[in-house]
This record gives sequence, structure tokens and C-alpha cells, in this order.
Amino acid sequence: MYKPTDKMSLLVTSHYKMMLVMARFGIALGFGDKTIREVCAENQVDTNTFLAIVEALLDVENKTNFSVKEVSLKAVLKYLQNSHSYFLQFRLPAIREKLSEVLQNGNSELSKAVLFYFDEYVAEVKKHMNYEEKTVFPYILSLIEGKPKANYNIEMFARQHNQIEARLTEFKSIIIKYYPIKSTYELTSVLFDIFTCEEDLASHNAIENRLLVPKILKIEFDNLKI
Amino acid sequence: MKPQIKIVIAESSEIIRKGVAAVLKHIYHNVDFFYANELEQLKLALNRHKPDILFINPILVGSFGFNAFKKNILSANTKTVALQTVFLEQSILKDYDRAISIYDSEDFIGKKILSLINEPPEKDKPQNVLSMREKDVILGVIKGLTNKQIADKLCLSVHTIITHRRNIASKLQIHSAAGLTIYAISNKLVEVDD
Repeated sequence: MYKPTDKMSLLVTSHYKMMLVMARFGIALGFGDKTIREVCAENQVDTNTFLAIVEALLDVENKTNFSVKEVSLKAVLKYLQNSHSYFLQFRLPAIREKLSEVLQNGNSELSKAVLFYFDEYVAEVKKHMNYEEKTVFPYILSLIEGKPKANYNIEMFARQHNQIEARLTEFKSIIIKYYPIKSTYELTSVLFDIFTCEEDLASHNAIENRLLVPKILKIEFDNLKI
Repeated sequence: MKPQIKIVIAESSEIIRKGVAAVLKHIYHNVDFFYANELEQLKLALNRHKPDILFINPILVGSFGFNAFKKNILSANTKTVALQTVFLEQSILKDYDRAISIYDSEDFIGKKILSLINEPPEKDKPQNVLSMREKDVILGVIKGLTNKQIADKLCLSVHTIITHRRNIASKLQIHSAAGLTIYAISNKLVEVDD
């Protein structure tokens, strides 16, 4: 596991996807030989939270118990919010644009159906993320401030993620199995984008499921005892 | 004339071997029989004759199990029938395509064996092919009809429609209406200007 005294460059060169984490925390590249703690401090990022997110993403077997980790929930929420805007404002629109370009050469009815499917999917992701920002995150903030909103608990939300991932997996398999289009570099490139986006979304959800939810469950549990 | 089939009967008792052959001859006339009364002989017979069906007393295979035997010795095209001389557990019989007992009637054995003969070999079984009804249901779904509306249109019960939809989802791995639309257009279930 990475320590605050490890070099940031070591982490990023070993796991290039951590660049996404840095982008979401607003950490610029070009940090030379500085340690993780130094880079985080310079960018006003909580080092423990940064490392916990890195650990959650690398911990594919889900061994770590995050409910006992020292993290700043506010920092986690900020990370998640930035991650949402990454998907909604950058990643998914970019894929759609590429997709619609590739589809121009095919059967127009079919292309329309494929784009419709994609749009419906994006609308679903958006709805889910908006729900998190309007309902879940405010609830968590109220919890941090010690005045929890009634009538809600985090378990209600923990179950919703699988559906969203399943939808993108389905889309991928529909295109591969049923879309009769000549396999071109352009099409392959869009599909690769969809694959990586699927992975990114899964890791985004993993942060919520593995790090955020256990942490909140612990606070909810501790509140019960009082 | 029905196509000729080859059957190997593996059983240690000669009376039972001949008896089974006589009953089978009644059921399906055009059969070539080969016999084996122990494992080594059976391996030779399988190798030489490559039978369509193997009738075998599970006791002959003994404790090492029929699955290992199937994997190592049997050709994939040979169907298997367990020939019980004593009562055997379902856990043993499940490795065979069919199971009959020496106490079964000719009628009963006939039904089982004919259905086995007519069954296409494993690799030729159509996979994920939609039935006409399932295609009708897809058309309803992509038009945005409810299960109830589709049921009324096809004169089926809502329950049946739900079953069809479940089968469609498992055959195609598509669960959403938007996904089915893509499938339907690319497989020409709908007219393009529909």
C-alpha cells in the first residue's frame, strides 16, 4: 500500500488511472520528485483521503475496512462531485459525439436506435448522479454536522449502482453482437472508449460503495448508540 | 426407411444384454448391436464402432464416475443411456442423457429412446434462436406497449408475456426496450420505415 512519504510519481507511473483521481482533486502534473504528502499539501488536498481513494481503487478484492480509516468525508464528497461532472460534462458527451460520427455511414434507422439507446443510458446516469447530489450528499453533510436529516439512511442508496453498470455492459454487447457495421479503426476506438468508461464508472461506484457507504454506516450506527 | 443406428450395450449379464437388444429391436428396427461385458471390452467396442447410443449399466463404470469416463473415452456424438438393474440414486443417473430400468415397460422405454434418437446432437442445438411468439413480443415491447396490451393483442395471458420476456432477455442478454429496438432493426424484425 502507498504511504504519504512515497513519491507521487511512483504511484502515477505504476497506475496511470490515478491521473483521473488527481484531476478530480485538482492536482496538477509536473510534481517532480515530491512525495504524496507534499503534493497533496500544496494542492490543499487531505492526504489520508487521497490515499484512501487510491487504496479503494487498487483494492479490487475489497479487503480493506474503510469504516476505520481516517478520511475527510467532505473531501470524498468533493471528489465524487468532480467525478460526476467528469462523466456528465466530459466523458459521456465525448463518446456520444464520436459514436454519432461513426454511425453516419450505417443504416440510418439503426443509427438512430443506437443513439437513442445511448441517450437513454446517459439520462439514467444523470438522474442517478443528480439524485446523489440533491439527496444523498446533503444527507451526508447533515450527518457530518451532527444534525442528521430524518427519514433517510445510506442503505437505501447502496443498492442502486449495479443497474447503471449493467446498462453500459449491455450496450457494449449489443453493439458487438448485433450491430452490422464494418469494423473500422473509428468504431474500435469508440468501443475502447466505452470499455474504459465502463471501468471508470465501476471504480467511481466502488468508491461510493466501499469507502463512502461503510463510513456513513459507521456514523449512523454510532449515532444510534447515543 | 429410418437411418441405421449403432448401439453398444455394456452389461455383464448376457441375458440382460440380449433382452435389452430384443426390446430395442422392437422399438427401432434398423439397429446394429455390439456388446461388452466389462470395461476393457467396452473401450475397444467404442473405439471400433463409434456408436450413436451407448446403453451402459452404471455399476460397470464403478466408483470413478461416469463423467470422467465420458470425457476421456466417449466421443461427443455418442448419447448415453443408463441401464439400471438395481435402483440407483438420481445423483448417479444425472450424468446420462436418459435412464431406463430393466423393469420398465417396452412402451416407456420406446418413448424415451425415440426422443433420444430424435434429439439433435449437443453442438447442433439451436442456441438463442427466438421463437415466432418471442419475436411478436419483441415487436410489442419496442412499440412501447405494456405487457397487458401485448397479451391482449396476441391473445395470451400477461403471465405468458412475462415468461416470454424473461426468455428473450436470457437468450439475447438484452433487458431494455431500447436495446431490443437495436436488435429488431439489425435483425430485420421490423421494416425500416415502420
